[in-house]
Amino acid sequence: MSSSSSLLFSINNEGKVYALSTSGSCWREFMYLGLEFKTLSAVPHYLWAVGGDRQIYLHVHGLEIPIRVKEESYENERWLPLEGFSGRLLPTDRYHFSSQDGTIDRSIDRIRLPSMAWQWEGDWQLELTLNGQALDHDGWSYAVDFPANFCPVKQWKSCVRRRKWIRYRKFSAMNSWCAIAPLHKDPTQEPFIDISIGGNEIPYASPGTLSVWSITAHGRVMYRTGVSTTSPEGLKWINISIPPNCDIRQISVGPSGLVWALLWTGRTIVRKGITKDCPTGDGWLEVKSPTETKLSVITVGYNAVWAVSSDARVWFRKGIDGNLVGCSEIAAMGSGWLEITGNMVHISVGKNDQVFAIGESDKCIYWRSGITASELTGKRWRMVQANMQLSRTSSSASVVSSASNAKHHSLTTLSEATPELKSNINIHNSWEESHSAPIEHTLPLKPPKLKQSKGKVEDEKIDLTGKSYETTLKNPRAWSPVRSVGSVVGMEAQPDSDSSVFDVDSGMYFDEEVSQTAWGMCETTWTFVDAGACFVDNMQIPHWFTDIQNAHNYDLIAKWRIQILDSLKTCNKFHGINLSKYGIAIDEKGWTRSCEARLVNNNNTCEDSILSLYWHSLENIGTLSVFQPDGTIKFILNLGEVTSIFPCSEPGCPRLSLLVPRQHAHGIKVQFASEMEQEEWLCLLVEITSQINGLSGKPSPKSLWAVTNSGDVINWDPKAIPFNSDNKGVYSKEFQVFGKDILSGLITNLNNNFPPGSSLKISGCLGDDIERFHINLQGPEIKKQRHKIEVEVTDIALHFNVRFDEATVVCNTKTSGSWGIEERHDLLLQQGHEFSIKIVCQPLGFEICVNGKSYCFYEHRLSPESITSVLIKGSLKLYTMEYSTTSVILDPDEIVWRIMGGHLRKIECSQIGVTWGISHDHRAWVYTGGWGGGVLKAISAKDGLNPITDTQTYCVYENQRWNPLTGYTSTGLPTDRYMWSDITGKHKRTREHTKLLSRHWHWISEWMIDYNTPGGVDSEGWQYATDFPAPYHGKKLFTDCVRRRRWYRKAQIMTEGPWVRAGSTALVDISLWSNSDDTSVWAITLGGEAIYRTGVTISTPSGIHWEHINSPEPLIAISTANHIVWAVGRKGELYYREGACKDNVAGTNWKLIESPRCNNIYSHKANIGAKLVSLNRHSAWVLLSNNAIAVRTGITRDKHDGNHWKCLTESEMTFKDISSIDHEIWAVSNDGSLHRRLGITSENPTGSVWQLVHSGPIVHVSSRGSSLE
Amino acid sequence: MANDREVLREIWDGKLPICFQLAQEEIMDIQQPDPFYVMVPRLSYFPLVIDKMKRHFLRYISQENADSEMWLDYNDQPLKWHYPIGFLYDLFCGNDPQLPWTLTVHFTKFPEDILLHCPNKDVVEAHYMSTVKEADVLKHRGQVMSTMQKKDHSQLWLGLQNDKFDQFWAINRRLMESHGDSEGFKYIPIRIYSDDGTCNQRLVSPKNNDGSRKTLQQMISELYPEKNDFNLRTHGIILPLDTPLQWLSEHMSYPDNFLHLCIY
Repeated sequence: MSSSSSLLFSINNEGKVYALSTSGSCWREFMYLGLEFKTLSAVPHYLWAVGGDRQIYLHVHGLEIPIRVKEESYENERWLPLEGFSGRLLPTDRYHFSSQDGTIDRSIDRIRLPSMAWQWEGDWQLELTLNGQALDHDGWSYAVDFPANFCPVKQWKSCVRRRKWIRYRKFSAMNSWCAIAPLHKDPTQEPFIDISIGGNEIPYASPGTLSVWSITAHGRVMYRTGVSTTSPEGLKWINISIPPNCDIRQISVGPSGLVWALLWTGRTIVRKGITKDCPTGDGWLEVKSPTETKLSVITVGYNAVWAVSSDARVWFRKGIDGNLVGCSEIAAMGSGWLEITGNMVHISVGKNDQVFAIGESDKCIYWRSGITASELTGKRWRMVQANMQLSRTSSSASVVSSASNAKHHSLTTLSEATPELKSNINIHNSWEESHSAPIEHTLPLKPPKLKQSKGKVEDEKIDLTGKSYETTLKNPRAWSPVRSVGSVVGMEAQPDSDSSVFDVDSGMYFDEEVSQTAWGMCETTWTFVDAGACFVDNMQIPHWFTDIQNAHNYDLIAKWRIQILDSLKTCNKFHGINLSKYGIAIDEKGWTRSCEARLVNNNNTCEDSILSLYWHSLENIGTLSVFQPDGTIKFILNLGEVTSIFPCSEPGCPRLSLLVPRQHAHGIKVQFASEMEQEEWLCLLVEITSQINGLSGKPSPKSLWAVTNSGDVINWDPKAIPFNSDNKGVYSKEFQVFGKDILSGLITNLNNNFPPGSSLKISGCLGDDIERFHINLQGPEIKKQRHKIEVEVTDIALHFNVRFDEATVVCNTKTSGSWGIEERHDLLLQQGHEFSIKIVCQPLGFEICVNGKSYCFYEHRLSPESITSVLIKGSLKLYTMEYSTTSVILDPDEIVWRIMGGHLRKIECSQIGVTWGISHDHRAWVYTGGWGGGVLKAISAKDGLNPITDTQTYCVYENQRWNPLTGYTSTGLPTDRYMWSDITGKHKRTREHTKLLSRHWHWISEWMIDYNTPGGVDSEGWQYATDFPAPYHGKKLFTDCVRRRRWYRKAQIMTEGPWVRAGSTALVDISLWSNSDDTSVWAITLGGEAIYRTGVTISTPSGIHWEHINSPEPLIAISTANHIVWAVGRKGELYYREGACKDNVAGTNWKLIESPRCNNIYSHKANIGAKLVSLNRHSAWVLLSNNAIAVRTGITRDKHDGNHWKCLTESEMTFKDISSIDHEIWAVSNDGSLHRRLGITSENPTGSVWQLVHSGPIVHVSSRGSSLE
Repeated sequence: MANDREVLREIWDGKLPICFQLAQEEIMDIQQPDPFYVMVPRLSYFPLVIDKMKRHFLRYISQENADSEMWLDYNDQPLKWHYPIGFLYDLFCGNDPQLPWTLTVHFTKFPEDILLHCPNKDVVEAHYMSTVKEADVLKHRGQVMSTMQKKDHSQLWLGLQNDKFDQFWAINRRLMESHGDSEGFKYIPIRIYSDDGTCNQRLVSPKNNDGSRKTLQQMISELYPEKNDFNLRTHGIILPLDTPLQWLSEHMSYPDNFLHLCIY
């Protein structure tokens, strides 16, 4: 994943390390330690270097959340007849303390920190939940025997029990140099001459893999085992043998893990067979150098190898293929050298195969422009011109002051406190193992006694190091960091001055290098550059190249330009001429545009038609006419009635969807002949409808945001429509009923319900021959499955039936489909006369007035909150119908959605207008206030629009069936699923036919086997099962007859939108909440950890940085409101953050919340977990794993976990997303339609019914900014 | 790239107040027709803006002339419709501004030897598009125009015809981009007119031999080594002579993509 800003590292001729951020334009000096550096190598966040003392140093930086590793140990006990449960186990049993499967001894007193760069977070703790269920305080779970299923309750047959201890350790050497242990006791015995890190994109390797290679002064090649993003220092060096007579001077590891080494003789050798399973490879191959020259520097990229020869010529190796380096020697060695123009002395390949080099004569850094996947040699060299930060090596004062900061304090206490717990014996041992000599140099085992005494010495030494830490730092030059093996050298970065180096968040509000005094264009000569961590996007080149960027800026203030502009302005003013008599030469007139397109019906069939758009901007009217190919009109839409326009393309079928709730219940889908045409029409239609509805620029903070299933962001701004309110909390609406057909029944959706305080006024004229008519105040239509699907209203709260034939009026109620007892009243109305009826809902019943006089009172039999519509049926004419109620009446006709631009998966807004989004590749974005971008480019000014990318993974499944003759083949049974299918097996999906959605998407990988498919896979990626579909497992069993494997391919969309990256941490969920003076932002990282953002305000919506909160279990969802925080664990359990309040945002610890148990039809499945939660001030709306919704009520500041669960049972609707704030609850149902909860009051916090507001397809909604009252 | 929107907008909004008067000898009505006043975009062409004016005068002229082609003159000099209006004004009245610009309308005696016929607006479009193509050949060897679709061409034309800045620039932007690494056009499409109306069109590169940006001053001293004291006028203003040609071409070309400069 590329971060919004990445760093280019270089070393100047004084041995000082500098970093240049792709979002900045100034070189910043890396923390200076009194140690010069010879060479360095970097991947994002991890920098390895060889110091002036020829030792290896590691620097981890720019990670927003700490590296934490969870150590686990299971304590096993067996029940013995006399003693009960005890730690004495049978000889055949597992260890007393073991790993989960019992195979490894995990005594907790022997689990140690790998090095001084780590520290424990807290002590060993028991895990008190099992699969989301709470355990007793001692955490035991029981089983019949090992290995078996453990359950929380002890039974008579439980013979064994176990509990899980967990403890976290944290890499505390973040943002500081960390010395790596020398190979021998005497560091000068075998110093290092080169180091290289890479392997961050080894094909198929699990994420986080890294590989580090180095060269010693003795010419040995060393590989560092165990290096990964969670174990930055790795375990130990191992020697890789090299062919005889090879004296290596330089080594380079590419992102694909490919290793090239350069000999002193100028020859090169390549390591072959490097794969995810064998990161060290299995042999060397020699590559011929370009003729008549000796290579002096070599650098390996993904699909490229570059070299510089001793005569400063630049060479490119063609034919390297990063995807195949492990299995093809040709792909690893390439096919030939190609000379590139330019004279360089050093060269480095970065991500994306971008190349940086140092010029021979000027010693400046150059970037090779124009390198793309298809043109790896690029076009030309461009000089990197960035200002320099003047050296601050003299600022020893700040070095000393920072030595007293909290981190070092804790380090000191750590080394003092830990020996209590551990036996001294092993300490030396563990250090030795993890850091010292390579295996073949391991000293022979010494008698334990000796070892013990040695251990003590070592222990004291560590202690000493801790204490002497501050004193040594005062004179860093006199101190060799290598003495303290694996210790933390240096200190935290200075937050005030180093912010741009480490702060990857310098996004929207990034200040273009404020202080001018500390920066200067001083001449620097560079000796070394490393681009391994640097991501330069060809589409968005950093501001490093003054030749283009400044020329234009310079033009803007040039004298001639100002002169031209001034003269033009004067010229366009006509002094002394009365312009009023002058007509306009070119009339503003409406224009039309038409094209041939196809109308997509509900059953996915298409009909040819002609679209014709007419628009008159002065009158602000527009129509879209749809004609049949013969020219006859199919229908004409008034564009003012269109409430939402969004793309709904399918691969190869560019489509737009228009919602017109007033005319077409399901909206209109149009398929265009080409993507260009579709985009052009989208642009036009959005522009016109926005103009008609007066929408532009930044929406108000009350807006509601949603994401369609194509990743488009849509927004509804309630400010744009007037709510008919009389300011006393009464909202009213008049319905257009005049001339409507009443004879066959007119159903009017109230778009709200009918709580006490509501009223309905009807006036009209009765037919001369009318026999009966009735007015129903009724609930929603419910689908019934009988012979066919029928729609029926089962609940009618008030049935007011006027019968002229019986000369009576009948009032009744229908409950769950059956009528109650009739109430009869005398008839007051007359046939053929005008009439008016007013129904007022009062707390106890309906008061009905006829022709202005009180007529009768009908007591409530059904809750009036369940009323959502009115049915009037009979031979009469209606004049008016007016409805008023106590809360906002929101007519879907009036909810106009605007497509905002960008491509996201999730969005979260807040009541102050701060809006965050998460893209499909888990990156976090903040809304900039702009509008448009991408295909909407022509809409508005470019303010706040940035290029954005998003990545999605396409998967297909290869299915095979076993047969006795040929084994597994792709010939299935006739009844089987497609041999290439989607995950369900119901749809045929092949790799070749997988198409991208639009031309803005492109593939960024080949089809690859997914070795990380849930359930586990074998070495070829297969998962086995007894039959389709069944649970799949990674190991082939005797009974397995079928197998499948998952192929994936990644695609990227490049577009623009009003969004800017916020932080580099990958997120899965985010929650925002704000009141007038405070905004809280909580999120869940990809790793399942809870974090919160500091410093988020209206003016700095992206905040400052993430703070990290420990959690007992990986989390998947989070929500915050009113400083209360709820989170959902991976197993569906719910937590709240105890002690969270305004002054202590972080709270103290997670507490389990009683899981949702409701007495409804879903509850027969035991223990339904939660998936998602949305918290408001008084209640928590929880989406359960069965897609039903449960509400926790009674949440207050004093009771964060609330007091009651209530499941929503009134309909069988299932949901995929929910968002709540105060009385506004919006949810996305499984069919993709968007609903709003009606009838929510303080007394009835769960509301009564759902109202459909957008027929979708929507995937996500955020109503967190919207309070409509 | 033309990214100085402020300048572009100012040029686009440039208008001229024009007073049309019917030639005395053509008035067949007893009543004298009122002059016709209209604000005309400087960037437009006369055939695009005279529909209303024509309707205004038709009833005063002899009906047998009603169908004949109308033409305009200023001080007895016929105005060539295929030049942008603003350029014609700069050419004839640049030194001696008179506003409103009073033009005489004729329906007879079409000066066949001076003016091209313009039976309808399609002719203007064809002429306009061919000029744009010529400019693109100079700038990009014609590559941009040839990659554009028909609808892009018509959007360019409709944008100009209907006075829609965004519609026009959405397409014209592409014509004003420089391609490759050179960051400049191959040649600048430029026409320089002396006050006698003679036109001078030469190949002018936006860069000097040393790679620096060529200014107006440098270009003139190349083309007119004898001229020392001169002014260049376009869009009603005198250009500062240190303006770079490339910038000038990107921002101050007429919609036909040519710089039309009057030198005197």
